[in-house]
Amino acid sequence: MSLPRWEVMSVTLSKLSLRNARRQARDYLVYFVTVVMAAALLYSFNGLVFSGEVRQLSEGMHMLPFVIVLASAVVVCIFGWLVSYATGFMLSRRSRELGTYVLIGLTNRQVARLFFLENLAVGGAALVLGLALGGLLYQILRAILFAMFGLPYHFEMALSFPAAGLTLFYFVLIYLHALGKSRKRVRKMKIWDLIYFDRQNEGAAIRTGKLRRWMFGVSILLGVAGTVLLTAGSLMIGIMGAGCLIAALFGFFLSFASGVPAFFEKRPARKYQGQTLLVFRTLASKLATMGMVMAVISMIFTATLLTEGSGLVFNGIFRGRAAENACYDLYFGIEGEDQDPGPYLEYIDGNIPVEQSVLYQIYLSDSSQVQDYVSSRTVYYYYNYDRDPVLCWSDYAALRQIAGYPPVEMEPGRYLIHCMTYLEEPLGDYHQPIVLGNVTLTPGNVYTEHLSQSFGVGNGRGYILVVPDEAAAGLAVHHLAYAAKTLQPVSEQQYNVLNDIAAMEHDNQVNPSGYGFVSTKANEAAQVAVQTATSVFPMFYLALALSMTVATILTIQQLSETERYRRQFILLRKLGMARQEMKRALGRQFALYYAMPAVPPVLIAAPFLFHMARLPEPGVMVGMSSPAAIVALSFSLFFLIYGIYILLAYTSLRRSVLVE
Amino acid sequence: MLQVQNIEKYYGSKNNVTKALDRVSFDVEAGEFLAIMGASGSGKTTLLNCISTIDTVSAGKILLDGVSIADLGEEELAKFRRERLGFVFQDFNLLDTLTVEENIGLALSLNHMDPKTVQDRVRNVAGKLGIADILPIFPYQISGGQKQRTACARAMVAGQSLLLADEPTGALDSKASKNLLEIMTAMNRDMGATILMVTHDAYSASYAKRVLFLKDGRVFNELLRGERGRSVFYHEILDVLAALGGDVSDVI
Repeated sequence: MSLPRWEVMSVTLSKLSLRNARRQARDYLVYFVTVVMAAALLYSFNGLVFSGEVRQLSEGMHMLPFVIVLASAVVVCIFGWLVSYATGFMLSRRSRELGTYVLIGLTNRQVARLFFLENLAVGGAALVLGLALGGLLYQILRAILFAMFGLPYHFEMALSFPAAGLTLFYFVLIYLHALGKSRKRVRKMKIWDLIYFDRQNEGAAIRTGKLRRWMFGVSILLGVAGTVLLTAGSLMIGIMGAGCLIAALFGFFLSFASGVPAFFEKRPARKYQGQTLLVFRTLASKLATMGMVMAVISMIFTATLLTEGSGLVFNGIFRGRAAENACYDLYFGIEGEDQDPGPYLEYIDGNIPVEQSVLYQIYLSDSSQVQDYVSSRTVYYYYNYDRDPVLCWSDYAALRQIAGYPPVEMEPGRYLIHCMTYLEEPLGDYHQPIVLGNVTLTPGNVYTEHLSQSFGVGNGRGYILVVPDEAAAGLAVHHLAYAAKTLQPVSEQQYNVLNDIAAMEHDNQVNPSGYGFVSTKANEAAQVAVQTATSVFPMFYLALALSMTVATILTIQQLSETERYRRQFILLRKLGMARQEMKRALGRQFALYYAMPAVPPVLIAAPFLFHMARLPEPGVMVGMSSPAAIVALSFSLFFLIYGIYILLAYTSLRRSVLVE
Repeated sequence: MLQVQNIEKYYGSKNNVTKALDRVSFDVEAGEFLAIMGASGSGKTTLLNCISTIDTVSAGKILLDGVSIADLGEEELAKFRRERLGFVFQDFNLLDTLTVEENIGLALSLNHMDPKTVQDRVRNVAGKLGIADILPIFPYQISGGQKQRTACARAMVAGQSLLLADEPTGALDSKASKNLLEIMTAMNRDMGATILMVTHDAYSASYAKRVLFLKDGRVFNELLRGERGRSVFYHEILDVLAALGGDVSDVI
């Protein structure tokens, strides 16, 4: 016989809290892991806020701390809601236990303190683990940023005290809000409420069939209207659309969830078909009382998909635009005839070592026949030239060589077309000859590599006609251009000086008729990196927080039913149900439960993202950034995270429920 | 010791009021072992909840040693529960995170009683209830009967004067039930504990010295055991229950 230990008899509130906290972390492992991830996410992004080296990557990166702090404010609200919901949920699950404390003589105040302390302990442990994990996550973010700026990356693990401090501050806000709420609840609760709290549930909101049907119909209409308004393009109308969608989701889930039992009650034949009765009853018991929660979850799902999709659209825009402009280490164009590139070349000669360069002119043909044709085949086109732009064959060959493209041939008496990818199909179908002075040229091949064709003083706008040198003689000049391959990437400072020259030339009336435009490969890459860091990063940060939050809430709800499922399946086994059948039933319950809140968001987000990805100018959203790819990618990313949670919940539930 | 005076309890909203207790009055003397019987929905658990301060009455008074429990504030109520009342529930209500020993001593420990005294008291009561050898283990590792004895130990470790038991044998097999009831009898006889037990089981009630019968929220009969043997008393209880199932006028 082992005798009682002396020390255990001095159980204090804090010791008891710690013990309960350990159990809470074990019982709600998925929630605990999410809070750890939340801390890690917050810390890693705070790391970016306080990192001097990150700010020095480029001038534009000075905006980053501001944007990250703004995004973090939203993320703190999201995690605040999660912690508040989970704490409230655990309170209801454990109210009988808390009631027992009151029963044996603790005051409500003491019980509230106990609950407060144990949640604080869980939050504290999650924070410490999260900081360690966040350190690694920060290194990943850092590595991505360095790669985007084309800089070498070295692994450096160190705790950033300001970042940790800010993370602690966010956690204090999150926990004070959630625990303040439950503390108030416990202190106000009567002992009867505590002991019998787990018997209470959200009441079915809609009880009459007529109201339910009416609400269901209206919510579908509102959903369609909301989606259409959201894609209308105006901010005010978009806000109205968002309002419609929120109302639609609440209406849908309140009416649909409480309508499920009524649907099956009226159709006994369906109810008793196969495993339907079992699956339906288990789901109905949850859905009928979870309408509000499902609506909120669905709303967050929608926000997640839209945020993720928007992030991908922005990413596509930045990369798509930069790819076209970044084909030369250094490029400048000056609008107008007889322009003097002297100041530019002087600076380049003195400061930027050049391996190969070409100074050339972009001409205008005598007609706009190709432009007219392109306009008739595409929805959208910028008219920068009143006639078709033309480039000499020798300049074109040099430009290809500088850009590192393979050489091409041009047969005598022919002209080539070099265009952006999106024009390849219509221009491939173009078979008309062109006439320049007294020379008639027939069409040759079409090439589509990037050739700086997306701005006014580039190599044409979208397309350019490449003609034999002698055919271009005597044509009007549209602008002067220069392209070079440099020995070193052009620095941000050198780029700024060249830009200043362009501005000065214009201001000093040296070049009053047009403007100069400078672009460098390094600057384009830096711009993409800055834009990605300041807009795409925060969007994915938000999307990750949102998807983790909803998946966690659904999983907590599902796993809290483990014991009930276990009893149910033991009984079913006794009644003669085969294990394989039970597995199928559990799988179906799971699939339906997790699919339910995801269906409306998919229906709303798909058309919106398609629409959004079509908004930028043609030629930008192509390949992995095409509208279909954007939708597919954002859905895949979201369902990947969602899938991890589903898999975790399913494996855990299957292990505990379908015991051998 | 305990005086229940004309208590009433209503549930529900304006248009749908359920009267769970209807002018119930009775006294309990110190050292008594009283059972309250009745069919499901007769109001017996509501009555126990009102006495145990889990629930409040809609009208009437409950006095314990002359003090009305409705007049006590939060702090006083907690002290009252801690020092005067002990609870035993059908589903034990033990805390899973604590060992048997810690479950019994928790309330004392949390109220800063000297650890040595807590330990002595826990060991003393555990010895009396035959659970000394399971003190270091957790509730999920022991049987239902042992859990209920742990609950009894917790209910009396602080020297509580009134032990309230709600269907204490409800989740036990017949052997464990008999064992528990004998322990409760011993607690009442040897340790002077006043016991108020709610049950729908005639066998359990036959261990009490007095049985009150509730029907539709009212006290409708009372049986005193007196000097009779337990089995005679048991049959008398069964007779009253048989009458309880029929019309009230058949019994009175």
